[in-house]
This record gives sequence, C-alpha cells and structure tokens, in this order.
Amino acid sequence: MKFEHCIRCTICVENCPVFRVNPAFPGPKQAGPDAQRFRSEREKSVDEWVLLCSQCKRCDMACPCGVDPAQIILRAQQKYGLEHPHTAAHLLFANNYYLSTLGSMTAPLANRFVSTEIGKKIFQRMGIATYIPFPKFSFKTLRAQKKTRSRESRKVALFYGCFINFYRPDIGRKIIQLLQSFRVDVVLPPQWCCGLPALGNGNLALAQKFAAKNVASLSNYIDAGYDVVYSCTSCGLCLLHDYQGIMDIPGAKKIAENSYNLHEYLLKLLAERGGTKPEFKEVNRTLAYHIPCHLRALKIGYPAADLMKMIPGLECRVLDDACCGLNGSYGFKKINEATAVQLGGRAVSLIRKTGAEAIVADCGSCRMQLGGLSGMNAYDPVEILCESLGIRDLKKQKK
Amino acid sequence: MSVIEYDVIVIGAGVSGLTAGTFLAKQGLNVALVTTGESTACLSTGCIDVCSQDENPLQAIVNLPDGHPYHLIPVENIRQSLHDFQQTMTDRGMPYGGGPENNRRVLSAIGTFKTTCLTPVTMQASPQNEDEKIHIITFAGLKDFYPGYIISRLKNASYSIYDAGVATTMGIAANFEGEAFLEAFILWLEKQNIREDKIGFPAVLGLESAAAIVQTIESRMECPVFEIPTIPPSMPGRRLFNHLKDYFRCQGGAIYWGWPVVGVEKSGKKIEAVIAESQGRPNSLNAKAFILATGSFVGGGLHANRDSIVENVFHLPVFLPGKRETWFDHDYFSTNHGIGQAGVAVHSDFRPADCPWDNVFVCGSILARTETLKNGCGHGFALATGQAAAKSCLEHIR
Repeated sequence: MKFEHCIRCTICVENCPVFRVNPAFPGPKQAGPDAQRFRSEREKSVDEWVLLCSQCKRCDMACPCGVDPAQIILRAQQKYGLEHPHTAAHLLFANNYYLSTLGSMTAPLANRFVSTEIGKKIFQRMGIATYIPFPKFSFKTLRAQKKTRSRESRKVALFYGCFINFYRPDIGRKIIQLLQSFRVDVVLPPQWCCGLPALGNGNLALAQKFAAKNVASLSNYIDAGYDVVYSCTSCGLCLLHDYQGIMDIPGAKKIAENSYNLHEYLLKLLAERGGTKPEFKEVNRTLAYHIPCHLRALKIGYPAADLMKMIPGLECRVLDDACCGLNGSYGFKKINEATAVQLGGRAVSLIRKTGAEAIVADCGSCRMQLGGLSGMNAYDPVEILCESLGIRDLKKQKK
Repeated sequence: MSVIEYDVIVIGAGVSGLTAGTFLAKQGLNVALVTTGESTACLSTGCIDVCSQDENPLQAIVNLPDGHPYHLIPVENIRQSLHDFQQTMTDRGMPYGGGPENNRRVLSAIGTFKTTCLTPVTMQASPQNEDEKIHIITFAGLKDFYPGYIISRLKNASYSIYDAGVATTMGIAANFEGEAFLEAFILWLEKQNIREDKIGFPAVLGLESAAAIVQTIESRMECPVFEIPTIPPSMPGRRLFNHLKDYFRCQGGAIYWGWPVVGVEKSGKKIEAVIAESQGRPNSLNAKAFILATGSFVGGGLHANRDSIVENVFHLPVFLPGKRETWFDHDYFSTNHGIGQAGVAVHSDFRPADCPWDNVFVCGSILARTETLKNGCGHGFALATGQAAAKSCLEHIR
C-alpha cells in the first residue's frame, strides 16, 4: 500500500467519473489514501460509500505519484463485504457465472422472462436496474464448440470470458477463425469466470476460488507450450493484475507472463513475421473507438486501434476520456443506476460529436451500455477486422 | 523489443512534452507519449507565463542571466511557439488572449495579482488594478475559495453566495455543463441587482464548455465576467491539459497512461527502448529518438537525495548550483531558492551535455538554470523549449 505517497494533488478526483455525477461518493482521494489512515484491521468498516466506487481504475492511471487509489478502495470494499451482509443484487452478480450457465441452458425461456414486464419488476425489487436491456443468453455457448486442431507451430489457449461464452459465442467463433487466419492453432482450455464480478461485488473468497481453478488449468497449457490469449479487457486485467495482487494466487505470475491481449498478440505475430500486413480489404466506415477503462489500465496501449489503422478506408476516432458508466455489474445495481445513466449519456454525446456511424469497443459491457443508450450499432474490434479480412461466422453461413 | 517501433517517444505529459509530441506528429512521425500519470499542468492556473520580470516578456527574456536555456532559442521562434499555441487554442474553442509583447495581470484567489502573459478567455476580463469595482460570486460550502481574502485587499469589491447543491470544485463545474443548472443560476444572478462593473467567479464555470458558459453569462448580464484561478483541483489547468492532450491525439499521437519508465535498453550511442513496470512480461517501447519532458521535482523528473540530485529516467548528469547549503534561501517564501537552478544542462540542440547517447533531447522545466519561480517562466517556457527540442529531434531523424 502506497497511500503515504499521496501529495493531495486531487488529479485522481478530477478523473473520477463517479465523483463527477454522484456527490455521495467522496472521490478517490478521500475514499482511498485519506480514509486509509483511519482504517483498522481490528475495527468494523463503516465506510459504506466505498461501494460506490466502480473500480474503473481511472484514478490509478491518472495518479502522478503511483498511489493507486483504486487498489486501496478495492481492499476496503472487500473488507466491507466480508463484514456486512450482501444485498440480493450483490449476491446475484458475484455468482454471475453460475447464473449465466443456468441462463444459457434455458436460453429461450430465460431470455423471454428477462424481457417481460414482470421480469423487470422482479429485478427492480431485487435492486437491479433495467434501463438497458439485459444481454440475450445464447443457447449454444462457445465452450460447447467442437474442438478443431491442426498442426501449426504456434498454439493459443483462448480465455474467452463469460460475456462471449454465454451471450456472444459468434464473436468467439470469429476470434478463433481470426487467429487461425494468422496460422495459429486455437484450443479452448477448461475455464471458469475470471473472478472479477465476485471481486467487484465484495466476495473475495469466491473470486479466489475461480482464480485458483483458472490458474491451475491455464498453467498446464502454458507448460505444454501454449500462449494464453484473452479478448475481454476486464478478464485480462483480472488475470494479469488481481490474481497476483489482491487475490494472491500462487502461480499467478506465470499466467501474467504468458497472457496476451488478442490484438496485442496479433501485432506481435505481425512483428515476428517481418511486419507484412495481412490482406485487409477496404472497409468504408467511420467508427468511434470507445476505449474501455480496463484496456487503459492494462498499460499496453490500444493495439486494436493500431490494427484497425491498417484497414484501408476505415476512419476510426479513438476516445478514451469517458467511462461508459456500466462497469460490468456496477450500473445494473439500482443504487448506481443514476450514475451509470449520466456517465453513459456523456460518453454517448462524445461519440456523437465525432459523427461516427457506429461504435467499436473491446468490452462487452461497454458495448451493451453505449449501444443500449445510443441506439447505434456497437461492434467488437474483432468484428471489424473480420469484416475486412472477409471472415464470416461459419455457423450463420450454414443457415 | 516492442511490437511497434515508434519514430519518437516523448516521456512526460506536461505542456512541453505534449507540445513536442504534437509538433512531431504533425510532421507525419509516429509518436507515442508515455507518462506516469497526469501532469502538473493540471494543477496550474492555465495561464501562460512567458517571463514575468518585465512589462514586456520578450524583453525580459533578453535580460535573463547567461546560461538560461531561453537563450538557446531565437526570439522569433519563441514568438512563433506562442502564436502556434494561441492558434491551436482558438481552433479548439478555448481562445487565449494577450500577446508576447505585453504581460498582464490576473486576480488571484487571495486578492493579489499574478503577472502572466497569455490568459484563457475566461480570465480575459480579470481586473488590472485594486480600484476596479467588482462583484464576486462564490458557492455555498465551497472550501477552496474564500472571497473574504479578496474583499480585504480590493476596496471596491463585494460578494454574494449561490447554493449549487454541491460543494466541490469538480461537482459545481460539472453542474455548469447542464443547461438547466446554468439557466437557474443566471435567473438567480439577475435578481442580485449587481451594480459593480464586473462579475468574478472562482474558476468553476464548466469543464468542456467554459468559454461558452462565460459568454452566455456575459451576454445575459451585459457585463464582463471573469474567472479567478483556484487551488487544485484547478479547472483552467485541467482544460488546458485536456485541449493539448486531445490535440496531440488528433494529430495521430498515442498516449500510454500509468506508464512510469523504470529502465532503458541501450546499444552503443543509442537508446533503443524504454521499459515500464509490469506485472508479467517486460513492457517496453522502441523508438528512434526520445524526448525527455518529465518536469522538475513536483513533476517527478528530478529527485533530491541528501547531497545529490538525480534525473529519474536516463540518469543524465544533473547541474547543481553548489553544495546543499546553497540550495535553499532562509526565507521559505522566497522565489530565489538555489535549487531552482538544478536540472539537466543541454547543448544548443537540446541534447543533454555529457551524455553518451545522441538520440535523447530534453525540454521543459527539467532544464538546468530555468528558475521557473524566480523568472515567472512556466508554460511559455515549456511551449518554446518543447517546440525547439522537437525541431532538433526532427533534424536528427531525417
């Protein structure tokens, strides 16, 4: 903990999206380093307002002194969660993985129920916001995908993440084809929720349970010569950062050393192969690339932007100043709804200013929020790359 | 080795670093900027101090002592840097008033006057002397601004208080971005029956749309309106930073946030790459040339030990005014502390002196003998040296 390094410059406060719209949250400086002086292991937490922090990590990125206010707040959130009963919404979202498993097994039913008025009322009773539609469960998850193996020398173990698995397996299939077009062998290793939803809802123990299973599984693949590739930026941040940090999982360092963001990995392949660009075909679109907060926090730059730059005809404006406001399950909690809607509105207005026809974002929850609030199409960068390379979802073609 | 090789990497996101990066990106180079966090420019008043030692800043520069890095730049180029800056800010909708031939005054939050050169349009109407009749509006509970300080020094000043519903600079500024809030505020203002010539506010009149908000209030109240810079969080400083940062990106520059440089890769006379902290694999970025714009002590470019001062990134030799006894003046509030001279000495092409590498350039307040506080040369100096170092860097690359 580096809270003593804080010089009270308030740059973190200026960067806090929640503080900007919700006066109930005292901001990262007070909730982080300032309040830390008064927190004691032996006393019960009374700082309920730490739960208002969305863990977007913008304060960590802005801090000139390396204090990492969000990390301090994250620990305070876990302590608070340990000592206090959890609300229904917190419990549900922490266990999102199990719920989603259930949801996709009963997809046609679950999707219909979620979109009915009664369904919405029940959600609201439980403290869950319904201002944007819930994502639709996919009956056939990505992990049910038939395994394909070839004999390429490069082998990737894909950590696809819950969003792709349960809601958008089509993007997952495109990722596999995209990697294969770069002559890479792709396998889907056994995997569980990365643990971030549990962590974000104050359930450290559950998060650690998920993490330990993932580390054990991925570790086997790394030993067998696979590189781990993740496509969800929040899963990635959790694998690289939280497994070693707050979760303290043995063996996590090995995962961090061998895991790559999908687009970072593609760029790496290009560089290793002498920089010859793939045969990108013209895509005549103007897009606004909304940078997810957790991609910023990965500190790897914006590799998808670098790839999309290579596509002829594509105009892509990079926007990284606004948080979409949803932050995974944060905005789905009734108590945060107003914050999420206001922040989303601001992000959408910045997007509209660019004159773009559609939105691109790496993060499924950003796309859900921005697409839902703006009515514009929101794509994963993978979809744009595939469009340019002429890769189509094989499943759909067969239909 | 990194995946992308940049032409130039700028280290530091202050005014000088962003200026240098933008200049090079505009020339078509592939530029990345890496920074630990956001810069001290965010904490500033947003005013461009060129040199406050004389009524005419350009003349004041000529009179600076030998060895001041300003002397490395022809006056015409300094003028050009300031002009380019004003042009950029006008294009972006946050015009800066004033010109390089004249210093002007800005009323401070404690009722004193600060000498500066270029001011954001929101401070254009700031009073120029103690006799002007001004009315100040403050906000209920705002703990970073006390009009009493100003009233005690300016005899024709008065104030009233508005309840904005929130009591923080950021909160109030964010509220001003909403039309309904602004309208309710103006209606209240109209009822105040203000008879003074000008209305002053702590600098909380909006975040992105400050210029338009000031204009709206001015036209509705039919009298000049000005902002008074506050202690951090300083909205005018943030607006300046945001505009320079956005402009850099519009020109094609990439920014790596939360990227403190902890090591370098070198071979022969070249720096090959800079390395950041990382949780997993080494995180490095390659480039053909590097611009060091990490600032002085507060910015994090320099670090003082008991008896020595080190430059944090490349460990370049640091010029010292003398032994530790000479570092500090007896008067704490003096602007003449010897340590203000500490920094990296450079040749006329902004390459550091006694440096084994030929692809490093230095600009901004990390330069030796700058004495920012004493000479009143803040952002103006950063603009001029940023552009000058970028020009040398461009020659090196071509």
